[in-house]
Amino acid sequence: MLEIKNIHKSFGKNEILKGVDLRIDKGDVVVILGPSGSGKTTLLRCINFLEKADQGHAIFGAADVNLKTASKKQIHDIRQKVAFVFQNYNLFNNKTALENVTEGLIIGRRVPKAEAIEIGKKALDKVGLSEKYHSYPIELSGGQQQRVGIARAVALNPDIILFDEPTSALDPELVGEVLTVMKNIAKEGTTMLVVTHEMSFAKDVANRVVFMDGGVIVEEGSPKEIFTNPKEERTQQFLRRVLPEDYIFYI
Amino acid sequence: MEKYFNAKYIWESFPLLIPYIKVTFLVAGLSVLFGTLLGFILAAMKLGNSKIAQIIANGYTTALRCTPSIVLLFLVYYGIPKIAENFGVNLSDIDKIIFIVITFSLQFAAAMSEVIRSAYQSIDRGQFEAAVSVGLSNAQAYRRIIFPQAFVVALPNFGNSLLELIKEGSLAYTIGLIDVMGKASLIIDGRFNAHALETYLALSIIYWVISIAIEQLFLKLEKVFSKGKQVINPT
Amino acid sequence: MSDGLNYSFLVKTFFTALSGVPTALMITIVALFIALPLGFMLALTRINRIPVLHRFAQVYVSFVRGTPVIVQIFIIYSSVPLVLTSFFKKFHIETNVYDINPIWYAFIVFSLNTTAILIEVFRSAISTVSKGQLEAAYSVGLTNVQAFRRIIIPQTLVVALPNICTATVNLIKATSLGYAMSLQEITLRAKVAANVGYNYVEAYIDIFLVYLILCSLVEYLFKIYEKRLRKYKAANA
Repeated sequence: MLEIKNIHKSFGKNEILKGVDLRIDKGDVVVILGPSGSGKTTLLRCINFLEKADQGHAIFGAADVNLKTASKKQIHDIRQKVAFVFQNYNLFNNKTALENVTEGLIIGRRVPKAEAIEIGKKALDKVGLSEKYHSYPIELSGGQQQRVGIARAVALNPDIILFDEPTSALDPELVGEVLTVMKNIAKEGTTMLVVTHEMSFAKDVANRVVFMDGGVIVEEGSPKEIFTNPKEERTQQFLRRVLPEDYIFYI
Repeated sequence: MEKYFNAKYIWESFPLLIPYIKVTFLVAGLSVLFGTLLGFILAAMKLGNSKIAQIIANGYTTALRCTPSIVLLFLVYYGIPKIAENFGVNLSDIDKIIFIVITFSLQFAAAMSEVIRSAYQSIDRGQFEAAVSVGLSNAQAYRRIIFPQAFVVALPNFGNSLLELIKEGSLAYTIGLIDVMGKASLIIDGRFNAHALETYLALSIIYWVISIAIEQLFLKLEKVFSKGKQVINPT
Repeated sequence: MSDGLNYSFLVKTFFTALSGVPTALMITIVALFIALPLGFMLALTRINRIPVLHRFAQVYVSFVRGTPVIVQIFIIYSSVPLVLTSFFKKFHIETNVYDINPIWYAFIVFSLNTTAILIEVFRSAISTVSKGQLEAAYSVGLTNVQAFRRIIIPQTLVVALPNICTATVNLIKATSLGYAMSLQEITLRAKVAANVGYNYVEAYIDIFLVYLILCSLVEYLFKIYEKRLRKYKAANA
């Protein structure tokens, strides 16, 4: 459904993405792992044009978009299909939870208000925040805010949801509630591309794992393949560092 | 000449002065209007990509913030007619209130450009990114998400600048404007400077009341508009 | 008949205006000298809600910030001579009130004015320094005075500095109102020179330039000082 070809992106003199190809099919839950600076977040941000790639193509279904020269209309169209969940939630501070979720529907997609509110409430129910329709972000905990962020993405009914380290900014005890929501969404068949350090999510929910380092994809495969049988040295080094010590893998 | 202080003159001054408050407000109101418009333009210049525009806008702000009000007033009052003279235009019949409004608009614009710029920059970029991610256009994102939040941040600073404007506006009497300050000046001259202190005290009370009223107004406005924000409460 | 600018007058008056700078600076320095410690201490009374004093400070600040400087100048200039006259009479002092150099009135007005401004500046600056700093200072055995001098004040200063700079620039600008007291400062000197030939525009251009240079200099100096003080703070700025 989505195919990324040959993305390059530099910030000043630093080349962050050095030619990345990625293919995502409908229903995939793809987790991207890797050390900081490997380009995972940049890759995500380039896909929905929060950063402009220096080079590369994105093929959405039938449409082939050049990431560097995409027109405003093309960008707008892609953003209709791709939703984003931010590490820092980025909820609209001046709007309630329900308003946050319906904003994109009413204004971005011209859905009638009554219908948007229905969709919004359902999305908030799905993430377990039925009591908080009219709360402002300042009144919510980090975990609740992120769940609103996910509801906001889900309500748009996108083709794919991008998650940029959704739990990294949360206190440990709040991580679980967000991961649970993400698991439920995945079970429903949502196509997800997730950058995360939460290995449990990668192992239990993902159907594909991608390991990035130094701006390129080093290895990819099913969770079983990557976690028990990593082929590349770099992958093994990374896994050794982040997984508990008693985890054994075979070569 | 034996000067003595008579409190009765304070009370007598109030009814004489109060009718002229509306002149003070008129000048302030017009200056706020034009000053804010110009301030937006300057802020846009500072935040934009053109280096030249930035230099001009910053230079303007610095120049005006370093200039005392009466100096600016006289520069405008004497300078503009002189420039117009060079083009053969005679401005001597123009009501002095025009020059006064020009002066304080220019001054207010400098202050406003900073207020607007810093309010805009205080809004986290993530708000904009989230807005476009859910499908809002750039314009919609600014209008619905960025501007309302920046407005709340700007409000207290706007209130301060407004107060400063009203106080600086008192200097307009030096070129003959009869606002509340000008009237006080007339009263005192009319009495050959007797009981000047009492009149000035009455004048100061009028200004004091006005500034307290504006302060309270803006505190209320801040409360009304900041539903989504935490207001830091200074003791 | 268009005239153009009288350039020789422009240059000459520039130096006339410049001659008023020492007066302006002297007023500024005296005012700051009084207002900085006084403002700081009164700010503390506000924060610690010391009875009587903190209400007094609150009203005082409200009045000074709520009234135009020119009105404050007129009030002081018309009231102090009255008070002094009766004071001199009582103690049989020979001095004629009207012989007193207006600069003394300027010192009084601007000190009072700046103190009020700085009370507010310090109030918000002090509140940004966390309470734990003082507690930690006590717990390692510092006296109150030492704690303030070595820990609290330096941190307050860094936060307050930009606002103190603004207050200083405003103070310098406000000295232009000294004409109301016949004070021979920048504006009055140049104006008097202008009255001779009606060369007002040139005079005011010169005045404008002098203030511009003065204020830019002050802002520059403050920036340097702020950089030095900021050394201890993490690379945040």
